[in-house]
Amino acid sequence: MTDATDLAQRAGDRDPRVGLRAVAALRRLLEQLEAVQVRSARNQGWSWQEIAAELGVSRQAVHKKYGRQ
Amino acid sequence: MFERFTKDAREVVQGAVMDCRRAGVRTVDAEHLLLALLEHEGGRASFALAALGLAEHRESVRRALSRARRQAGLTRAETDALAGLGIDVPEIVARVEEAHGVGAMSGERKDGIRRSGRRPSFGQGAKDVLEKSLRVALAQRDRHIGDEHLLLALTVLPGVPAEALADHGVTYESVTRVLYADAGEDRKAG
Repeated sequence: MTDATDLAQRAGDRDPRVGLRAVAALRRLLEQLEAVQVRSARNQGWSWQEIAAELGVSRQAVHKKYGRQ
Repeated sequence: MFERFTKDAREVVQGAVMDCRRAGVRTVDAEHLLLALLEHEGGRASFALAALGLAEHRESVRRALSRARRQAGLTRAETDALAGLGIDVPEIVARVEEAHGVGAMSGERKDGIRRSGRRPSFGQGAKDVLEKSLRVALAQRDRHIGDEHLLLALTVLPGVPAEALADHGVTYESVTRVLYADAGEDRKAG
Protein backbone atom coordinates (compact mmCIF):
# COMPACT_ATOMS: atom_id res chain seq x y z
CA MET A 1 0.00 0.00 0.00
CA THR A 2 1.40 3.38 -0.94
CA ASP A 3 1.60 6.23 1.55
CA ALA A 4 -1.03 8.13 -0.38
CA THR A 5 -3.67 5.41 -0.24
CA ASP A 6 -2.73 4.67 3.36
CA LEU A 7 -3.33 8.29 4.26
CA ALA A 8 -6.54 8.37 2.30
CA GLN A 9 -7.76 5.32 4.16
CA ARG A 10 -6.90 6.73 7.56
CA ALA A 11 -8.63 9.97 6.64
CA GLY A 12 -11.63 7.87 5.63
CA ASP A 13 -11.68 6.23 9.02
CA ARG A 14 -12.22 9.64 10.56
CA ASP A 15 -15.26 10.12 8.38
CA PRO A 16 -18.15 10.00 10.85
CA ARG A 17 -20.27 8.23 8.27
CA VAL A 18 -17.98 5.21 8.27
CA GLY A 19 -17.94 5.04 12.04
CA LEU A 20 -21.68 5.54 12.43
CA ARG A 21 -22.44 2.92 9.81
CA ALA A 22 -20.23 0.45 11.65
CA VAL A 23 -22.01 1.18 14.92
CA ALA A 24 -25.43 0.67 13.32
CA ALA A 25 -24.28 -2.62 11.80
CA LEU A 26 -22.84 -3.70 15.13
CA ARG A 27 -26.15 -2.98 16.83
CA ARG A 28 -27.95 -5.21 14.33
CA LEU A 29 -25.40 -7.95 14.80
CA LEU A 30 -25.81 -7.63 18.55
CA GLU A 31 -29.61 -7.91 18.26
CA GLN A 32 -29.27 -11.16 16.34
CA LEU A 33 -26.75 -12.57 18.80
CA GLU A 34 -28.99 -11.66 21.72
CA ALA A 35 -32.01 -13.31 20.08
CA VAL A 36 -30.02 -16.51 19.47
CA GLN A 37 -28.81 -16.68 23.05
CA VAL A 38 -32.17 -15.83 24.63
CA ARG A 39 -33.93 -18.45 22.51
CA SER A 40 -31.30 -21.00 23.42
CA ALA A 41 -31.65 -20.22 27.12
CA ARG A 42 -35.44 -20.49 26.97
CA ASN A 43 -35.14 -23.82 25.15
CA GLN A 44 -32.95 -25.02 27.99
CA GLY A 45 -35.57 -24.03 30.52
CA TRP A 46 -34.10 -20.79 31.83
CA SER A 47 -36.53 -18.35 33.46
CA TRP A 48 -36.87 -14.77 32.21
CA GLN A 49 -35.41 -13.67 35.53
CA GLU A 50 -32.26 -15.73 35.02
CA ILE A 51 -31.82 -14.49 31.45
CA ALA A 52 -32.36 -10.88 32.51
CA ALA A 53 -29.78 -11.21 35.26
CA GLU A 54 -27.12 -12.43 32.82
CA LEU A 55 -27.94 -9.70 30.31
CA GLY A 56 -27.94 -7.05 33.02
CA VAL A 57 -31.41 -5.79 32.23
CA SER A 58 -34.80 -6.02 33.93
CA ARG A 59 -36.93 -9.14 33.69
CA GLN A 60 -39.72 -7.02 32.20
CA ALA A 61 -37.44 -5.73 29.44
CA VAL A 62 -36.44 -9.23 28.32
CA HIS A 63 -39.95 -10.57 28.56
CA LYS A 64 -41.41 -7.65 26.63
CA LYS A 65 -38.86 -8.14 23.86
CA TYR A 66 -38.89 -11.92 23.58
CA GLY A 67 -41.98 -13.13 25.41
CA ARG A 68 -44.94 -14.75 23.68
CA GLN A 69 -42.82 -16.18 20.91
CA MET B 1 -53.04 3.67 0.98
CA PHE B 2 -53.86 0.23 -0.48
CA GLU B 3 -56.79 1.58 -2.47
CA ARG B 4 -54.33 3.32 -4.75
CA PHE B 5 -52.43 0.11 -5.45
CA THR B 6 -52.80 -1.43 -8.87
CA LYS B 7 -53.86 -5.04 -9.25
CA ASP B 8 -50.22 -6.00 -9.94
CA ALA B 9 -48.97 -4.23 -6.83
CA ARG B 10 -51.64 -5.88 -4.69
CA GLU B 11 -50.77 -9.27 -6.11
CA VAL B 12 -47.10 -8.77 -5.26
CA VAL B 13 -47.89 -7.74 -1.68
CA GLN B 14 -50.37 -10.58 -1.27
CA GLY B 15 -47.88 -12.98 -2.81
CA ALA B 16 -45.27 -11.97 -0.24
CA VAL B 17 -47.75 -12.46 2.60
CA MET B 18 -48.82 -15.84 1.25
CA ASP B 19 -45.23 -17.02 0.78
CA CYS B 20 -44.41 -16.09 4.38
CA ARG B 21 -47.56 -17.72 5.66
CA ARG B 22 -46.86 -20.93 3.80
CA ALA B 23 -43.28 -21.00 5.07
CA GLY B 24 -44.39 -20.18 8.61
CA VAL B 25 -42.42 -16.92 8.58
CA ARG B 26 -43.93 -14.47 11.03
CA THR B 27 -42.77 -11.19 9.62
CA VAL B 28 -43.02 -10.01 6.04
CA ASP B 29 -39.84 -8.14 5.23
CA ALA B 30 -38.59 -6.04 2.34
CA GLU B 31 -36.79 -9.07 0.93
CA HIS B 32 -40.06 -11.02 0.82
CA LEU B 33 -41.57 -8.24 -1.25
CA LEU B 34 -38.61 -8.48 -3.61
CA LEU B 35 -38.93 -12.27 -3.85
CA ALA B 36 -42.65 -11.92 -4.68
CA LEU B 37 -41.80 -9.22 -7.20
CA LEU B 38 -39.33 -11.54 -8.93
CA GLU B 39 -42.07 -14.18 -9.17
CA HIS B 40 -44.76 -11.86 -10.46
CA GLU B 41 -45.29 -11.79 -14.17
CA GLY B 42 -47.03 -9.41 -16.50
CA GLY B 43 -46.54 -6.25 -14.46
CA ARG B 44 -44.52 -3.12 -15.20
CA ALA B 45 -41.83 -4.26 -12.79
CA SER B 46 -41.34 -7.57 -14.55
CA PHE B 47 -41.15 -5.66 -17.83
CA ALA B 48 -38.42 -3.44 -16.37
CA LEU B 49 -36.55 -6.38 -14.85
CA ALA B 50 -36.70 -8.28 -18.15
CA ALA B 51 -35.47 -5.20 -20.03
CA LEU B 52 -32.52 -5.02 -17.63
CA GLY B 53 -31.73 -8.69 -18.25
CA LEU B 54 -32.63 -9.86 -14.77
CA ALA B 55 -34.92 -12.66 -15.94
CA GLU B 56 -32.03 -15.11 -16.18
CA HIS B 57 -30.39 -13.86 -12.98
CA ARG B 58 -33.36 -14.22 -10.66
CA GLU B 59 -31.84 -17.24 -8.98
CA SER B 60 -28.66 -15.30 -8.36
CA VAL B 61 -30.65 -12.53 -6.64
CA ARG B 62 -32.46 -15.11 -4.51
CA ARG B 63 -29.14 -16.62 -3.49
CA ALA B 64 -27.76 -13.20 -2.58
CA LEU B 65 -30.80 -12.56 -0.37
CA SER B 66 -30.55 -15.85 1.45
CA ARG B 67 -26.80 -15.46 1.89
CA ALA B 68 -27.27 -12.02 3.46
CA ARG B 69 -30.07 -13.30 5.67
CA ARG B 70 -27.85 -16.04 6.99
CA GLN B 71 -25.23 -13.38 7.83
CA ALA B 72 -27.49 -11.62 10.33
CA GLY B 73 -29.26 -9.76 7.51
CA LEU B 74 -26.31 -7.42 7.10
CA THR B 75 -25.42 -5.92 3.74
CA ARG B 76 -21.93 -6.30 2.34
CA ALA B 77 -21.36 -2.61 3.10
CA GLU B 78 -22.26 -3.24 6.74
CA THR B 79 -20.12 -6.35 6.93
CA ASP B 80 -17.22 -4.35 5.49
CA ALA B 81 -17.82 -1.56 7.99
CA LEU B 82 -17.62 -4.10 10.81
CA ALA B 83 -14.49 -5.64 9.32
CA GLY B 84 -13.02 -2.15 9.58
CA LEU B 85 -13.53 -2.39 13.32
CA GLY B 86 -11.90 -5.79 13.37
CA ILE B 87 -15.19 -7.65 13.64
CA ASP B 88 -15.27 -10.67 11.39
CA VAL B 89 -18.98 -11.29 10.71
CA PRO B 90 -18.57 -14.51 8.71
CA GLU B 91 -16.43 -15.92 11.51
CA ILE B 92 -19.03 -14.99 14.14
CA VAL B 93 -21.82 -16.50 12.04
CA ALA B 94 -19.80 -19.69 11.54
CA ARG B 95 -19.25 -20.08 15.29
CA VAL B 96 -22.86 -19.39 16.18
CA GLU B 97 -24.04 -21.85 13.54
CA GLU B 98 -21.65 -24.44 14.95
CA ALA B 99 -23.40 -24.21 18.29
CA HIS B 100 -26.95 -23.38 17.24
CA GLY B 101 -27.35 -24.76 13.75
CA VAL B 102 -27.30 -23.40 10.20
CA GLY B 103 -29.35 -20.25 9.83
CA ALA B 104 -29.22 -19.43 13.54
CA MET B 105 -28.24 -15.84 12.74
CA SER B 106 -30.94 -15.36 10.12
CA GLY B 107 -33.34 -13.94 12.68
CA GLU B 108 -36.12 -15.68 10.85
CA ARG B 109 -38.51 -16.84 13.50
CA LYS B 110 -40.73 -19.53 12.24
CA ASP B 111 -43.86 -20.85 13.78
CA GLY B 112 -44.03 -24.46 14.79
CA ILE B 113 -46.35 -26.79 12.91
CA ARG B 114 -49.00 -26.02 15.48
CA ARG B 115 -49.15 -22.34 14.68
CA SER B 116 -48.09 -22.20 11.06
CA GLY B 117 -50.57 -20.72 8.67
CA ARG B 118 -51.42 -17.71 10.78
CA ARG B 119 -51.25 -14.35 9.09
CA PRO B 120 -47.79 -12.83 9.25
CA SER B 121 -47.36 -9.17 10.16
CA PHE B 122 -45.49 -6.53 8.18
CA GLY B 123 -42.05 -5.76 9.49
CA GLN B 124 -40.65 -2.23 9.50
CA GLY B 125 -38.64 -2.95 6.34
CA ALA B 126 -41.76 -3.94 4.39
CA LYS B 127 -43.69 -0.96 5.76
CA ASP B 128 -40.89 1.31 4.61
CA VAL B 129 -41.09 -0.16 1.11
CA LEU B 130 -44.86 0.40 0.90
CA GLU B 131 -44.51 3.95 2.16
CA LYS B 132 -41.60 4.70 -0.14
CA SER B 133 -43.49 3.30 -3.13
CA LEU B 134 -46.15 5.94 -2.51
CA ARG B 135 -43.51 8.68 -2.46
CA VAL B 136 -41.88 7.32 -5.59
CA ALA B 137 -45.23 7.28 -7.39
CA LEU B 138 -45.85 10.88 -6.34
CA ALA B 139 -42.39 11.89 -7.51
CA GLN B 140 -43.08 10.27 -10.89
CA ARG B 141 -46.45 12.02 -10.95
CA ASP B 142 -48.16 8.66 -11.31
CA ARG B 143 -51.67 8.52 -9.90
CA HIS B 144 -51.54 4.87 -8.97
CA ILE B 145 -49.03 2.80 -7.03
CA GLY B 146 -47.89 -0.04 -9.22
CA ASP B 147 -45.49 -2.93 -8.83
CA GLU B 148 -42.89 -0.79 -10.60
CA HIS B 149 -43.05 1.66 -7.69
CA LEU B 150 -42.50 -1.19 -5.27
CA LEU B 151 -39.42 -2.12 -7.29
CA LEU B 152 -38.17 1.48 -7.34
CA ALA B 153 -38.72 1.74 -3.57
CA LEU B 154 -36.67 -1.44 -3.10
CA THR B 155 -33.80 0.05 -5.12
CA VAL B 156 -33.60 3.24 -3.04
CA LEU B 157 -34.10 2.01 0.51
CA PRO B 158 -30.71 1.04 1.92
CA GLY B 159 -30.51 -2.64 2.69
CA VAL B 160 -29.98 -6.13 1.39
CA PRO B 161 -32.62 -5.98 -1.41
CA ALA B 162 -31.18 -2.75 -2.86
CA GLU B 163 -27.67 -4.17 -2.71
CA ALA B 164 -28.68 -7.45 -4.37
CA LEU B 165 -30.52 -5.54 -7.11
CA ALA B 166 -27.67 -3.09 -7.68
CA ASP B 167 -25.23 -6.00 -8.01
CA HIS B 168 -27.34 -7.12 -10.95
CA GLY B 169 -27.57 -3.72 -12.58
CA VAL B 170 -31.00 -2.87 -11.19
CA THR B 171 -30.92 0.62 -9.69
CA TYR B 172 -33.36 3.51 -9.42
CA GLU B 173 -31.72 5.08 -12.46
CA SER B 174 -31.72 1.98 -14.64
CA VAL B 175 -35.33 1.11 -13.80
CA THR B 176 -36.60 4.63 -14.44
CA ARG B 177 -34.62 4.68 -17.67
CA VAL B 178 -36.44 1.63 -19.06
CA LEU B 179 -39.83 2.59 -17.61
CA TYR B 180 -39.91 6.26 -18.40
CA ALA B 181 -37.63 6.27 -21.41
CA ASP B 182 -39.92 8.51 -23.42
CA ALA B 183 -40.83 10.78 -20.54
CA GLY B 184 -37.32 12.22 -20.64
CA GLU B 185 -36.22 14.59 -17.91
CA ASP B 186 -35.01 13.79 -14.50
CA ARG B 187 -37.96 12.81 -12.35
CA LYS B 188 -36.01 11.37 -9.54
CA ALA B 189 -37.70 10.66 -6.24
CA GLY B 190 -36.54 12.52 -3.18
